[in-house]
Amino acid sequence: MFFAVTVGDWLGEVENWVFAVLAIAMVYAAIRVVTTKNVVHAALFLVIALGGSAAIFLLLGAEFVAWTVVMVYIGAVIVLFLFGIMITRAPLGYETKLSHPRRVRIGAALASGALFLLIGGAMLDAFGDDPVPAAIDPTRTSDIGQSIFERFVIPFEVVSFVLLAALIGGIVIARQDPTVEEEEVLQ
Amino acid sequence: MLEQYLGDYITVAVFLAAGGILVGVGLIVAGLIRPNNPSKVKSEIYECGIEPIGDGWSQTHIRYYIFALLFLIFDVEAVFIFPWALKVETFANAGMGGYILIEMFVFIGILLLGLVYAIRKGVLKWE
Amino acid sequence: MNILDYHALLPELLLAATVIAVLVVDLLPVRKAWVAVVGLIGLFASFIPLLTLGLCDSLSFCEETGVRTMFDGSYTVDTFSLVLKGLFIGAAFVALLMSVGYLESGRFWEGEYYFLLLASVLGAVVMASSRGLITIFVALELVTGPTFLMAGWRKGDARSNEAALKYFIVGVLSASVLLFGMSLVYGVTGELTFPGIREAIVGAELGSPGFKDLPLLNIGVLFVLLGFGFKIAAVPFHFWTPDTYEGAPTPVTAYLSVVSKTAGFVGLLVISYSAFADLRNIWGPAVWILAATSMTLGNLTALRQTNIVRMLGYSSIAQGGFILAPFGAAVASGATGAQLEDAFFATVTYLIIYAFMNLGAFAVVIAGAKRIGSVEISDWGGLYQYAPGLAGLTLVFFFSLAGIPPFAGWFAKLVMFSALISMDNAWTNVLAVIAVVNSVIAFVYYSKVVKSVWFDPVPEDVLSGEARNVVVSPALKLALGITAIGVIAIGFYPPLAANLGEMTKTFVAGF
Repeated sequence: MFFAVTVGDWLGEVENWVFAVLAIAMVYAAIRVVTTKNVVHAALFLVIALGGSAAIFLLLGAEFVAWTVVMVYIGAVIVLFLFGIMITRAPLGYETKLSHPRRVRIGAALASGALFLLIGGAMLDAFGDDPVPAAIDPTRTSDIGQSIFERFVIPFEVVSFVLLAALIGGIVIARQDPTVEEEEVLQ
Repeated sequence: MLEQYLGDYITVAVFLAAGGILVGVGLIVAGLIRPNNPSKVKSEIYECGIEPIGDGWSQTHIRYYIFALLFLIFDVEAVFIFPWALKVETFANAGMGGYILIEMFVFIGILLLGLVYAIRKGVLKWE
Repeated sequence: MNILDYHALLPELLLAATVIAVLVVDLLPVRKAWVAVVGLIGLFASFIPLLTLGLCDSLSFCEETGVRTMFDGSYTVDTFSLVLKGLFIGAAFVALLMSVGYLESGRFWEGEYYFLLLASVLGAVVMASSRGLITIFVALELVTGPTFLMAGWRKGDARSNEAALKYFIVGVLSASVLLFGMSLVYGVTGELTFPGIREAIVGAELGSPGFKDLPLLNIGVLFVLLGFGFKIAAVPFHFWTPDTYEGAPTPVTAYLSVVSKTAGFVGLLVISYSAFADLRNIWGPAVWILAATSMTLGNLTALRQTNIVRMLGYSSIAQGGFILAPFGAAVASGATGAQLEDAFFATVTYLIIYAFMNLGAFAVVIAGAKRIGSVEISDWGGLYQYAPGLAGLTLVFFFSLAGIPPFAGWFAKLVMFSALISMDNAWTNVLAVIAVVNSVIAFVYYSKVVKSVWFDPVPEDVLSGEARNVVVSPALKLALGITAIGVIAIGFYPPLAANLGEMTKTFVAGF
């Protein structure tokens, strides 16, 4: 059931070639994110990994999600990451002190490998070679709009409060506190 | 349906590839025709003629972070406007124009309050 | 076409308006105390529609009765959600009162704090009505998001920073685990609303086999459980709690241990009963284990604490275990009908009483820390001699937490034990024995504080300070008064809490 599709059929589809290229690039970038010793490089590799996932969302017919990843994650979150790195006092080059000892790293690799096998196996078991519904009939952005305003109005409005709380709390935490004199002037 | 959808994106891919080729070809051609004799002095960091001190990176002021934060929040807001804009007409035709308009105005209004807050509290002042 | 039922949404709308009003008042050139006043008035105002909704059946101008659902059942206002919304709003009212004096006594950003607190409460209130994956996740984010920032509100203090950072990292990790679990559940069932998921799991459609035995779905369900396990600080997902509780400003700790934690419980109850009801064999034993380990480990560690805030941190982990106990035992042993209703009743009643006594205990800690200048139990010795009122309240709340009559805690323990014993099978009996042992352990460390306060001599260094003359702020006095009256009144007349718990039984009626 899992491998009902033969290799020849698989190679015959253009989408699969595109997917293979994206997947290899993503896996490489994702591994480099956690193995590189330079945090700025890690953030830049994350751009590749996120770009790949955006492209895969496009292939799956989820264009709104794809462009959200591009706009929000690649466009804004990575910028925030880089600013976050640059405002810290830590040297930006190689930071070996932060690295865990070897056995911890091997343990982490084994744990994540096991989790990957578990979830991957369960996914193959559940879906096998079922086609993705949205890839047959792509979900357009207007469909998302329809369901947001028809069924998800409450979470939609709640999101604005989440964002506002994040904005104001983030400003308070990140800003420089005024000195006592400045505070008196403000009041 | 999928063919048409992916076909649309082939156009995007072609443009992306064209952009990449343009830059790549430019660089390769330039590399081929320019004179090439590297030296140690040439690859040093140039800083207005003064000897560079320390690393190329330095700690930046935290206020940049607040700008990045504001940018992120309003970026997320912008993302929600696209599906809304595509559906305003449909809802208006169904007699729910006021409803969908108010929902979006509330959404934007709540976030605008964050901007008003930032201005009022002097966070955006560049001292 | 009218999508929204405004009467049903009135508590949320009023609370949202309060959140906005608080922010606007903060921008006006008025004293910061007004911000708190606006917040308190708003909380009070949003409590009123809960009553009109609850009493709707008997009022003449109300047409609709019973459960109000919106958006294909993804947002529901029933008695369960009304009771829990009332609990959230009431607990937030007390937490806000506790914060007023605390914030004024130091250099804090005040207006923003009230804004974040109320935004978080709004999330909790939305949570109580959420019956869909998206709504519940967004609500949970609104509950926890502001609290990450509030935990770090003492900006200059390294411990507060550590508290916020630890809480943030664990919170984000748990949210992502939860979201991943939800994505698996959605991927398998193709449904976002809890009733829809439940139907898809059983295979309600003719000829559909359902997904009951699908490993992927079971993994998804366990991930969701794991995500909530972090939120309710159940052992073994509790490691962030003591440091966060100790480092965060104490009113924030009180808020975290009551409102935020209850919101986690509500999410867990709602999602497990209404979406995963037919997968009880998967998550029932898991919840049973969480309950047993939380009780035992929380209590054993609390026994060794010398810092009263840390002790309350571990004690709230243990109390979380007690709250989970009837729920986990009932489900693990496959209870149905009246027994399941009793277990649900026990959980909700315990949550209500826990809110009163834990908020009260933290209010005592804030007042005591202000007078004594320390939260070490040894420094609290002889509090009775110079602050008899505070010493009396210490006794009330700590004995209530220990479950000693006539303070409310005994009734919480009683309903928990009676729910466990009435089911009478291996799962519940073992858990009942564990709970008894733990109640004894808990009594030891709660009474240690009471003994120190009433019988120990006053330590030398505390005597010499100006500790005697510090005045407790009127807002904190009010908070102490509300919680003390609540604890004593429920203790003497348990139906006050029991009737509310009784009302929520309908939630599990069909399981």
